Amino acid sequence: MEDSGEVEEEMNDVVFGLIYSSISLATPILLVSIIELIVEKGGVLNLSIEGSMLIGAFSAFMVAYYTDNLIYASITAAFSGLLLCLLFAFLTIALALDQMVTGIALNLLALGVTSYLYRASFGWYVSPIPPHIEKTIATLEIPVLSKIPLIGELLFNHIPHTYIAFIMVFICWFLFKTDLGLKIRAIGEDPEIAEALGINVNVLRYILLLVEGAIAGISGSLLSIAYYNMFLDNMTSGRGYVAIALIILARWNPLLLLPAVYFFNFVDVLQLRIQASGLAWFPYQFSLMLPYLFTILALFIMGRRVRGPSSLAKPYKKLR
Amino acid sequence: MSINYLLLTRFLLILVVIGSAFIVGGIIIALCGGNALLAFYWLFQGAFTPMLIPETLVRATPLLLISEGLVVAFSARMWNIGAEGQFYMGGISAAIFCIIFKYFTIPMQPIALLLAGLSGALWALAPSILKVRYGINEIITTLMLNYIAMYFVSYLLQGPFRDPVSMFPETESIPLHLQIPVVVGGTRLHLGVVFSFFVIVPVTYYFLERTNYGLRIKILGSSSRVAQYSKIHCDKVMIQSMLISGFLAGLAGGIEVLAVQHKMRLELSPSYCQYGYTGIAVALLSYLNPILTMFISIFIGGLINGSMTMHRMASIPVGMANIIQSLIIVFILIGYYVEDKLSWRILERLRRK
Repeated sequence: MEDSGEVEEEMNDVVFGLIYSSISLATPILLVSIIELIVEKGGVLNLSIEGSMLIGAFSAFMVAYYTDNLIYASITAAFSGLLLCLLFAFLTIALALDQMVTGIALNLLALGVTSYLYRASFGWYVSPIPPHIEKTIATLEIPVLSKIPLIGELLFNHIPHTYIAFIMVFICWFLFKTDLGLKIRAIGEDPEIAEALGINVNVLRYILLLVEGAIAGISGSLLSIAYYNMFLDNMTSGRGYVAIALIILARWNPLLLLPAVYFFNFVDVLQLRIQASGLAWFPYQFSLMLPYLFTILALFIMGRRVRGPSSLAKPYKKLR
Repeated sequence: MSINYLLLTRFLLILVVIGSAFIVGGIIIALCGGNALLAFYWLFQGAFTPMLIPETLVRATPLLLISEGLVVAFSARMWNIGAEGQFYMGGISAAIFCIIFKYFTIPMQPIALLLAGLSGALWALAPSILKVRYGINEIITTLMLNYIAMYFVSYLLQGPFRDPVSMFPETESIPLHLQIPVVVGGTRLHLGVVFSFFVIVPVTYYFLERTNYGLRIKILGSSSRVAQYSKIHCDKVMIQSMLISGFLAGLAGGIEVLAVQHKMRLELSPSYCQYGYTGIAVALLSYLNPILTMFISIFIGGLINGSMTMHRMASIPVGMANIIQSLIIVFILIGYYVEDKLSWRILERLRRK
């Protein structure tokens, strides 16, 4: 009898860990996908969030490594992510270049810059133990709520960003009920008419992209100064692209975004657990595939005939 | 005469564009305490000295094949981002075929390449059906299939088809009689390069610009409503254009395995030049023109090789290759913008007269 009790407790621990880490690890993608959703509603498809996240992860790590101050690190991450998005905004708004190519090119740029600067500052042959920082972003227990048994520990014992991301989903939902949200949707559906109605399309898109850059930088920084304590080449490994996929899965609806993101992360954490549990007959590559397979499957089941904002990814040129 | 002026401005623009990309790259190198002039000296040495031009062409071949395919798909507005995965599937299936039939001493390269192309096409089939039947965005599905292909190939290379002798996850070497032969002795310039440049490019050009079918693809790409009015079977054309691009990407993978690597490796498309993604840039930079694609892929191929030489000789980290590539792409885009503005101004002036 005692044995079965122990097994049960272990099972509870496993399930608890699974849910806890899928909530916790979802934060970067959740943060980025909410703001990207707003930007896409405004008619801009910004693939360069992948690059912004990577640059954020890198610059946050560098600042944390040399100053040991995580606040400075986060600010630098926000600022450097913003810089890349500013470049994207300039190229796609002022010069009206193709958003997809520009995004891909800037991601290549971010990949190059981070790996170049990392090597330039730590040397070509990184020692077996890569440089790492001593402290990472601590979890913030919410005073009263975290004392609730089980749920408190599960939901109210995360890094601050997780709460912010969660709140942002509802802010985003509320945003589209307001005047500003209507303007954003207008410039995403038909910028010419929006312009004729007196909305400054380009200024609004600039503002949206700058905010997005800062948020993407911060969410990338979570990878290097919250979950891990080091920087790795191409650390974001496609999280920005996944965020864009999840937006389509959520049909550009902020409230559907929440289950989509948590679902993806649950599968992702599950596959990590499958790997760690060492099922020898199940090749680890197949568990690595799972999140991507499930996204396609979910699109197949729920994402049929979804229509995005009409002017998404179309360069807007003012009438000359 | 005005056409000549346009060509001249276009040529000057390209020079300015490339020059400014290098200036920005040089500033980055100088800021990090490197010698920019020395670095660029090695870059050009590695890319375009007569000795190394065959290497540049070898590097350009997979880029060329992939981007020719993407030109077809993009012309029909099928945004195939999955060339990377299709490339890997082509490579692995060619390698597996050659390993299984390695004791047959008849030349079977065409069958292996056909198989490679077909498996690339197969990898593109699912997203195109999902797009046409269910309206599921093909950008996302092809992108996801890239990751799935990578992990699948990684499984095959570490499991069933791993060379037991090798330290790395790779297949055993393909026997000599199944490799694609080298054309010019002393270089790696193989028959696949000749085939791609002298067969695939003209055929794609002819196909897109001169046949009924190419016209159908273009009409479909310009507007699906017009296509419906002109009784074009949109679904069929969309799927076929995607299959062509998948086939060419798979073929590129097969050629790379049979002619250059002689085995399937995980770094078939190395991180400093992921052919599948760079191919997207090549296709779009060439304005979906099959002939221009050829020149741009040679240029980008040279750039990749040159930056490797730069890395070895001037000890500039490999990341610089990505930086210069991305700068060139961005500056070429800016060049198009300037050209657009200029030609518009010229038109305006003509109109006033």
